Amino acid sequence: MSRVLIAEDDPHILRLISMWLQRRGYDVLEARNGLTARELMEAEPVDVLISDINMPGLDGLSLIESVLPHGYVQRGVIVLTNRWDHAEIGERLGSWGVHVLPKPFSPTRLSELVERLLRSDVAGPAQTPQAWE
Amino acid sequence: MCADTQVIRSSGAPLTLRKRLWNGVLPEALGLCFVLIVLGGFVAAYLIATAAWRQRAAEHAQLQAEALAQVVAATVGQLADEQDDDLAALLKELTAQASIRTLRWVTPDGAVRFEWPPQLGAAAAGADGLAVTAAVTSVATPAGEPAGTLRLEIRAAPHSSQATLPIWPWAIAAGVGLLAFMAVYARLRRHLRPVQAIERSLTAYAQGLEEELNALALSDSFGSVARGWNLLIEQLGDARRQLENVAGSDNADEVLARFEGSLFRRMLDQAPFGVMCLNVDRRVSYINSAAAVLLGRAPEAVLGRPFAESVDDPAVAQAVVGNTLRSAAERAVDYLRCTGETEVFLRLRPLPLAGQAGEGDTLVTVEDIGQLRADQRARDNFLYHVTHELRTPLTSIHAYAETLTRPGFDDEQTRKECYNVIISETRRLANLVDNILNVSQLEVGTARLDLGEVDLVRLMRQMVQDNLGAADDKHIDLTLTLPPKVPKIQGDKQRLSILLTNLIGNAVKYTPESGAVQVSLDVRADRVAIAVRDTGIGIAPDDQAHVFDKFYRANNDAVQKITGTGLGLAIAREVARLHGGDILLESEAGQGSTFTVELPLSATADYGEVVVK
Repeated sequence: MSRVLIAEDDPHILRLISMWLQRRGYDVLEARNGLTARELMEAEPVDVLISDINMPGLDGLSLIESVLPHGYVQRGVIVLTNRWDHAEIGERLGSWGVHVLPKPFSPTRLSELVERLLRSDVAGPAQTPQAWE
Repeated sequence: MCADTQVIRSSGAPLTLRKRLWNGVLPEALGLCFVLIVLGGFVAAYLIATAAWRQRAAEHAQLQAEALAQVVAATVGQLADEQDDDLAALLKELTAQASIRTLRWVTPDGAVRFEWPPQLGAAAAGADGLAVTAAVTSVATPAGEPAGTLRLEIRAAPHSSQATLPIWPWAIAAGVGLLAFMAVYARLRRHLRPVQAIERSLTAYAQGLEEELNALALSDSFGSVARGWNLLIEQLGDARRQLENVAGSDNADEVLARFEGSLFRRMLDQAPFGVMCLNVDRRVSYINSAAAVLLGRAPEAVLGRPFAESVDDPAVAQAVVGNTLRSAAERAVDYLRCTGETEVFLRLRPLPLAGQAGEGDTLVTVEDIGQLRADQRARDNFLYHVTHELRTPLTSIHAYAETLTRPGFDDEQTRKECYNVIISETRRLANLVDNILNVSQLEVGTARLDLGEVDLVRLMRQMVQDNLGAADDKHIDLTLTLPPKVPKIQGDKQRLSILLTNLIGNAVKYTPESGAVQVSLDVRADRVAIAVRDTGIGIAPDDQAHVFDKFYRANNDAVQKITGTGLGLAIAREVARLHGGDILLESEAGQGSTFTVELPLSATADYGEVVVK
């Protein structure tokens, strides 16, 4: 079963994403902050990481930068952001091949994206920074 | 050229030979004359001293001769009756012993009784080259009869008649005197140089060579004179330029405008904003003190210099000088000037001056935009937080609403959950909007208190009541303690209720299950103190300084787990302050917090007391 980790500090959004993905049959892990998320991935790598940017402790950008080089995420990373400076996020994470989904987001679209990432013909995230397209 | 005083600018036109001679040779010639006079004086003094010396020697010899003549005359008188031979032998011996050169005794009848040396007439006086001193005295016999006259000459001692004074002490004295004079002269010349420079300048200026007016460097010894002179030149230059401006204009109106210009100039000098003027060569022709301070330059250091020297950044200088042709909006050039640790944000705005007189001139305004930037940053920060806070409930509402429309989520429990989240998040959104409006009103000072009599007892009871539900959910013991009598206060009921609900709501929110929140009121001499005490998570000392800042939320999990806008306390404090009071905080991490609101009781307040039942 595909493992999906959600790192999100807002309980309502965390619950909602979790609900949607569980209904699609994924093994969903929940973390309310970056540190917990990293510990979960260190214990066992996940297929997809869905992460908020603003989180207490370890923020989303730092979390992603710290786990990707270790191969803790195997299929893809989705960043949820309600920050208006998408450009900065693109600059920092674009080279890792992550997907940015601005808030408010459509849970339907998020689920489809997760599904697409888990398909075997889509390349997984880079373990070293790539040229930004 | 002397070391400490020099002419800064070289002369424009060469001096004529005559002037050069006059300026350069005359002082030396005068000095030489003085030296000659001094030396002549020494020689004259020497000659006079020698003459006096000789005179004294001659007088001495005369006295000696006369004394000797009297002694000899007395002796001769005693021997008047003796034989001539014996007398001659005796006198010969006497003359030999007493250094008598000649001796002649003439009896009263005119005969020569004795003469030494014989044929005295042959031995001319002074024939041996030595000065002689003669004395004549009368001779008397022992009986008192006159026995003729006696004339004798003695040899003057060589040192007393012919000798000269030794010359070497005089030569040494003259040498020392000369050296002393030269030293004084050299020093004098050094001091006189600036005077000569001024004199040269003035002479040249009088002949129409204005560029000959040279500024003097300031020296220790001549500083004040040089300063005065330089100031004079500067004022002269200003006056001449003004005169030229006036003379250069065509009509009376222009002249009048020029005179008014001097008033404008004084106004600009003291204006609180920076202004400078560049001429057609892009050199600074005017800078007011505000601009000089903002640019960190002394006015005299930039006046007349290229504008590029007024700023540290060549790109800024280029932009200012090159921007004059652009549209007004594009002309502004921002300039960050760093001096040590401080940064000054400036905005320079070049403005070409239109009009006949100032053709080619550029006015440059210099503004300090530090405050503007800080305000912009604060505004951006506020907007950033506001949009972030608004997006969070919006995201939930959007996502849960979409969920309701999807098949597979239509079971009763899921639908109920979705509706509940949408309702609570909508309330959160509304609350947030209210808070943002409140805080921005309070912030910009547009908030006006709707003052009236406030029954604190009723208000507090209501606020506690409103929060009882949330407290019960967490099994928190929420209590209200009131004194027997409470005065009514003047205040804004609406805003005080926001203040209280924020404090009580926070206390409930940040207190773990089964904790306690105590709300109490204490009436003091001139104020009431409302305390909200909780047994919650407390606030760390580092965070205590910031809890009243807008959007501040402590960066720890215990706080972050709880949703909040970070505006409640900022609003509460503003409301308390608007009422002339304040909020005090006592807290210890893990031990709970006490927020105490102090509100003043106005002196003229109506103490319509409420008896608490």
